[in-house]
Amino acid sequence: MSAAVTLARAGKAVIAACLAVAAAASSAQPIYHPPTGQNFEGVWLIQGNHSVVRTLAGKVPPMTRAAATRYAANLAARKAGKPEFDTTRSCKPHGFPRILFAAFPIEILQEPRQVTFIHEVHHMPRMVYLDLTLPKLEDMDPNWMGQSAGHWEGDTLVVESQGFNDLTTLDTAGLPHSEEMRVLERIRKVDLDTLEDVLTVTDPKTYTQAWSTRVTYRRQPGLRLKEYVCTDSNPEAKAATH
Amino acid sequence: MRLLLSAALVGLGVLAVTATRAAPSDVIDGPLIRSATSSNDPRDLSGVWFIRLYNRQINSTLGRLPPFTDRGKAEWDKRVKAEKEGSPIADASAYCWPHGVPRVMNSPYPLQIVQTDGETTILHEVAHNIRHIYMDQPHAQNPAPTFMGDSVGHWEADTLVVDTVGLNDRTWVDEVGVIHGKQLHVVERIRKIEDGHALENLIRIEDPEFFKQPWYARITYAWRPDLRISEYVCEENNRNMPENGHTVAK
Repeated sequence: MSAAVTLARAGKAVIAACLAVAAAASSAQPIYHPPTGQNFEGVWLIQGNHSVVRTLAGKVPPMTRAAATRYAANLAARKAGKPEFDTTRSCKPHGFPRILFAAFPIEILQEPRQVTFIHEVHHMPRMVYLDLTLPKLEDMDPNWMGQSAGHWEGDTLVVESQGFNDLTTLDTAGLPHSEEMRVLERIRKVDLDTLEDVLTVTDPKTYTQAWSTRVTYRRQPGLRLKEYVCTDSNPEAKAATH
Repeated sequence: MRLLLSAALVGLGVLAVTATRAAPSDVIDGPLIRSATSSNDPRDLSGVWFIRLYNRQINSTLGRLPPFTDRGKAEWDKRVKAEKEGSPIADASAYCWPHGVPRVMNSPYPLQIVQTDGETTILHEVAHNIRHIYMDQPHAQNPAPTFMGDSVGHWEADTLVVDTVGLNDRTWVDEVGVIHGKQLHVVERIRKIEDGHALENLIRIEDPEFFKQPWYARITYAWRPDLRISEYVCEENNRNMPENGHTVAK
């Protein structure tokens, strides 16, 4: 066999291989696969009880006097079984970051420019945009989940969020916050099946200094989010469901 | 001014004979976040889309009312009459509940498609509805009826075929008076059209309780590279909370 024929055959083999790859590629939909360290995809469940949020040192966050009064009132209302401050009682959103502490699964979807968190509770999504510069706080229309912009620092997803209304509390117990709250998150995998979120809350109107807390989630292989529909928005709706 | 600009753009388009894709034909409100057209890959549906020619009465391909059974027709008549009398019968959305399938696909708000390993997810701006479509999987066995049902998907050539069962009977098919029961079976055939400027959804609707035979609705959505999904919280300020099953204007 001449060298030329061998080369031609090799060429054909390469072309065939390329065609095979192209065929394989066209039979599937395009899926983004994040690098292993940055791959948070799947369903996760919070570890431990975070209904009463504390700082990393296990302390009550350092509050202004007015905030401390409000917190005490919320704690008392909760103890009395009448937590009127709690928006979730009338099917309104938990708001951010309280929703991170809810004892319901979270599904994470990843794309090159967006990380989407779907919270089973109230089927609430949070989009973390990797290509967004947050507007100035004074230019934002405050809402329940605010806006989130993220970027990768190695295998840590760093997310800044702001633009919140002041209708929600930070936790079930009733830690208050104002519309000026900003939340910085550092989210990373501490091992293959454990996701860690270290949150730093800055809100000078409520807290005398920035403080941090930590929450971890465990991977739930094979778990699908269930449909969660809050039907307590009015008595009639409740009656219709039961 | 707008017309002049359009004319100028058409002129440029004619000049740019080598360009294979024209500028987006739909209204663009702000700076682009994504490329002006969806990607060249026909199976890449990811991004934000917005319904075109929204019609409260879902666009049946028949150009007329669906082939109602007597029950379906009676329910339709009842709802049309109630609305005419100024006291519309409340559907699920009036209670801030999920809109159901296919109703949620016929909503005048943007939707975002996210494609990940094993799942196609649709994030709807309206009432933060979310659809989970599990790819290449069988339906769950005897799924308990839910608002959004049990959806599975697969590709047939460059068409995403989504099959949905397990729906409850609290949602409607449209916003006027086409309703359905728990036997509803919806098959959607979703594909890109117009060189990635638009998405087509051909929806097959089957429910022997309400329709004599299956019928189709066709909806198209424009590619909207200028939009992100906004927060929409129905529960916050529901001005039309139903009373005694009817929506009351306030």
